[in-house]
Amino acid sequence: MTPMNQIPAVDLRLREFMDADEGWGREAGRLTFQRLMSFVEQHPGALVFRVSLGGVRRVDISFASETIVQLARRYRGEKGFCFIDLIDIDQRENFEAAAQRAKQPLLIWNRQGKPQVLGVEPSQGIADALKFALIKPKARAAEYAKSARNVSLTNASTKFKQLWEQGFLLRCEAASPSGGVEYVYFSAK
Amino acid sequence: MQQLTIRLPPRWVNGSALEQTLRAGPAPFDGSASDVHFHVPSRCNLMTEAAVRLLSLLNQLDHATRRVIIDFEDNEDVLGYLNRIGFFEVLSPNVSVLPKRPTAAKVRRYRGRNPNLVEIQRIDRNHRDGDLPKRLTEAIGRACENRPDVHELEGAAWTILAELIDNVFAHSETQLDGFAALQVYPNGNCLKVAVSDSGLGLLKTLRPALQNQAPKLAALRDIELLVEVFKQGLSRHGADRGCGLKGCADKAIKFGAELDVRLPQERVLLVSGTAGYTPNRAFCYSGLPLIWGTHLCFTFKLD
Repeated sequence: MTPMNQIPAVDLRLREFMDADEGWGREAGRLTFQRLMSFVEQHPGALVFRVSLGGVRRVDISFASETIVQLARRYRGEKGFCFIDLIDIDQRENFEAAAQRAKQPLLIWNRQGKPQVLGVEPSQGIADALKFALIKPKARAAEYAKSARNVSLTNASTKFKQLWEQGFLLRCEAASPSGGVEYVYFSAK
Repeated sequence: MQQLTIRLPPRWVNGSALEQTLRAGPAPFDGSASDVHFHVPSRCNLMTEAAVRLLSLLNQLDHATRRVIIDFEDNEDVLGYLNRIGFFEVLSPNVSVLPKRPTAAKVRRYRGRNPNLVEIQRIDRNHRDGDLPKRLTEAIGRACENRPDVHELEGAAWTILAELIDNVFAHSETQLDGFAALQVYPNGNCLKVAVSDSGLGLLKTLRPALQNQAPKLAALRDIELLVEVFKQGLSRHGADRGCGLKGCADKAIKFGAELDVRLPQERVLLVSGTAGYTPNRAFCYSGLPLIWGTHLCFTFKLD
């Protein structure tokens, strides 16, 4: 249980795992997924994978579904995947459609460092907690309970736990100021 | 030995006109007929989706041991057009073409001369051609280069072709090749993307799986079920799948595209409204003459 000053993150260039610059179909997606998974397994210490689509011309929905979306689902709660340059409208729609179907949230960060959630909208009850967590490098339930109106510590903990379970956030254990153990939540960034 | 004659009308023939012709005449798969004769008169012009459907039908009839003749005697123009789009290269060699089947050399000579025209591409289930959607979509870049949304249009057409062709590989269960074609009609202000296979048909493979997975959906009439396939995305492989066809529909709806789905004995024409494709904007035709497979055509309006 070592508190992390920096979240261990690795860049992942999707094109390097594809046979061509167009990702077409489930079969090609499954092949790419196997390569992606061994890459992830080669980085056991990494918690976040920053996915770049540089050099990828197109992906269809089936390919999107079998690759990054499947990867995020497979490692939900353990490792996070986010897009750092998903600007092509068509690719974005296709990843969105695939993420929606898998009920797997995926974050896109734009150049200004603003996040957008693809695939799943957080429910009203946890949306504010997610907003809070996304603007901070790390967030604790106690901090959120303190800053939000009418949110108890227990309530804040529950909301963060739900966000973690649903794949919006990651978490790790850390020493709490009171001497016990608490969870520190963070997003894939 | 009995012969059937199906006469196409002397005008533009799209998917609807082809259906009208087939419904008005004898059913091509009529059990008692050993010879099926198609007559293409002068002034008859085939639009992309009609051409690929007719192609599938001719090959199916040949596969079912019918003696098939297509007669262009009065219509050299459409013969030339079909030749340029590679129709005769993928038409079964057993099908007789009158007055004469064009040679392959002539086809190659015409290729690439018209930027709006794309050859019919074979979907060979034994050999996956990784460039197929790209090759078809490139025509949009050539024909619509001045449109501000050309990139988006290309992307939408590519995704539709990629998903539909992938479905032919994954689901159609056919021994015959499928076909894909794309054509921009500048005067008709539209773009047509058509994919055709000779399999069992979309609902035939979906319904048995739905009986267990989603009995409520399985109880829907064909037209309602077909709308749901494109609206919510349904797959015989379970709730995690099916997003491909839904995604195609979503892309098409953005451009107000019509979707024409021909199944073995039914056809549904979906017209997009503010709520996308809905049953009250679907036109259904049942009890149609048999054509095996799933034949889809998206018509994008290019205003």
